[in-house]
Amino acid sequence: MKKILIILNVMATLSCIAIGSKFVLMPMFAETLFKNDYQILMFKCDNVMRDHLIAKNRVMFEKSDKSLAQLKAAEIALMSCHDYDRLRKKLKVWGVTDSELSHMGLEAIEKNASDIIKYVEIHEVKY
Amino acid sequence: MPAILLNMLKSMKLNISAVLLLIVGHAPSDLIASEGAREQLIRDVIIENGFTPHENLYIDKDSELSPEGKVFFESTHMSLNGNIACATCHVSKIGSSDGIPNAVGVRGHGESIERLMSGGKIVPRNSLALWGVGSKGFQTLFWDGKLSFVDGKTISQFGSTAPSDDPLVTAVHLPPVEIRETLEEDAFVLNNKNETVAGVDVIYGAIVDNLRVHEPDAFEALAVKRKIPQEDVRFLDVAFALAAFIRDEFRIKETRIEKFVSGSDSFSDTELFGAEVFYGKGGCVICHSGPNFTDQQFYTVPFPQLGFGKNGFGIDYGRYNATFNPSDLYKFRTPSLFNVANTRPFGHSGSVYTLEEAVTAHYDPLALASIEQYDSLQRHELSKVLALNDTVGTVNFLTEDEVAAVTEFLKTLSF
Repeated sequence: MKKILIILNVMATLSCIAIGSKFVLMPMFAETLFKNDYQILMFKCDNVMRDHLIAKNRVMFEKSDKSLAQLKAAEIALMSCHDYDRLRKKLKVWGVTDSELSHMGLEAIEKNASDIIKYVEIHEVKY
Repeated sequence: MPAILLNMLKSMKLNISAVLLLIVGHAPSDLIASEGAREQLIRDVIIENGFTPHENLYIDKDSELSPEGKVFFESTHMSLNGNIACATCHVSKIGSSDGIPNAVGVRGHGESIERLMSGGKIVPRNSLALWGVGSKGFQTLFWDGKLSFVDGKTISQFGSTAPSDDPLVTAVHLPPVEIRETLEEDAFVLNNKNETVAGVDVIYGAIVDNLRVHEPDAFEALAVKRKIPQEDVRFLDVAFALAAFIRDEFRIKETRIEKFVSGSDSFSDTELFGAEVFYGKGGCVICHSGPNFTDQQFYTVPFPQLGFGKNGFGIDYGRYNATFNPSDLYKFRTPSLFNVANTRPFGHSGSVYTLEEAVTAHYDPLALASIEQYDSLQRHELSKVLALNDTVGTVNFLTEDEVAAVTEFLKTLSF
């Protein structure tokens, strides 16, 4: 009986460690390890997607050989999103949630927000 | 060398004497006459470029609703769940703007700097001053002109169902339903966030209910003045009141330039010189023309970008975000210049702090860019904006004296 209890205890402990690793440690580890790469790849993908939309709109507003060539180049540029997509999937497998991924993305998008506070300090803005 | 100089002076003696004689004997009356002509020329050119006396700019519309509009304008209950009022970012004592580079929306506390430091959500554009927005001829609103009134038609997110043909009444519909600006993305907002006019109507209904509960006196007075039962009050009625207040409170008043044009006041030499540069060498009038000192058109002016921008990562595509036309990339509406001296910081992202810098941005933008501190994306973006810019080719090179004079002239547009 004692042995069974010890085994159950060990199993419970291992399960706790496994669950903790899966839902807390692994996502945390993955986030720490890949956050910078994720934000860079996200920017790259965002950048080419925006360029692609602009190129599509340019063809719509002023169709020409040049605008068509730009659109074609912009389509090929979308391959940059492949790496971003792969890393995103990998992070999800590691247990990073959608909201954590969104938070990392938002941090990257709004990185320059701190410049505003610096500006206010430099100019000693007062009212 | 001294001998050569002496000879030169000797040979110039006669000429120098002649000039001195002219100055002493004849110049004063000529100078006075030419000063008068100079003043008259400036007066004429100001009028030619659309200057209109302030009484003729005011539109007296629904002014009886102004007291209720004031209550709603100052009420944080205009925001359904974000605890923010119109008056939070349009502060009368800070030139009807908020005095900080980018506005701060939901989750912020206090006004201006206090609000910025409180960690609220940044709304990535400079809060525009409201002076004259309800005036005659003011028909394009917001930095990117997402609302305009052209050929009798309102062009806005509402499509063919614009709530009013008054641009200001339609404009006041927009901020209260902007997520992050005045709305928190809670479950109710998420459920109704479907990019349709019907979806937004539900939010407007909830804001009206909010005002009915929290501003009962103004709400009741509004219903009485609109001659409708309280339960029939719609957001449009609230918008009429808000527009009436904005039109009244931020109307254009008498300025020194108006007194100068009417002949009841004169400009100092610096102001007069500034006017010469504004209407002449500087070419400022090419865009800052008309009764509100704006042609209401869109231009790429290479102001530095501050903050993360409407498109994120420090990018703001400006008018393009409203039209999706690539030829509108980085363009922003020419702002009005009334009270401009009291509405710093300047530019769509509030990136320049003085009027002198704002003028400089138009003809010598690199003077304002700390390029050595830029990362490669910032340099790339700056290069694009410079390539597309509309002003460096239009505004002539200006000296420091000329820039200073223009800013003195701009102060004559204050009241």
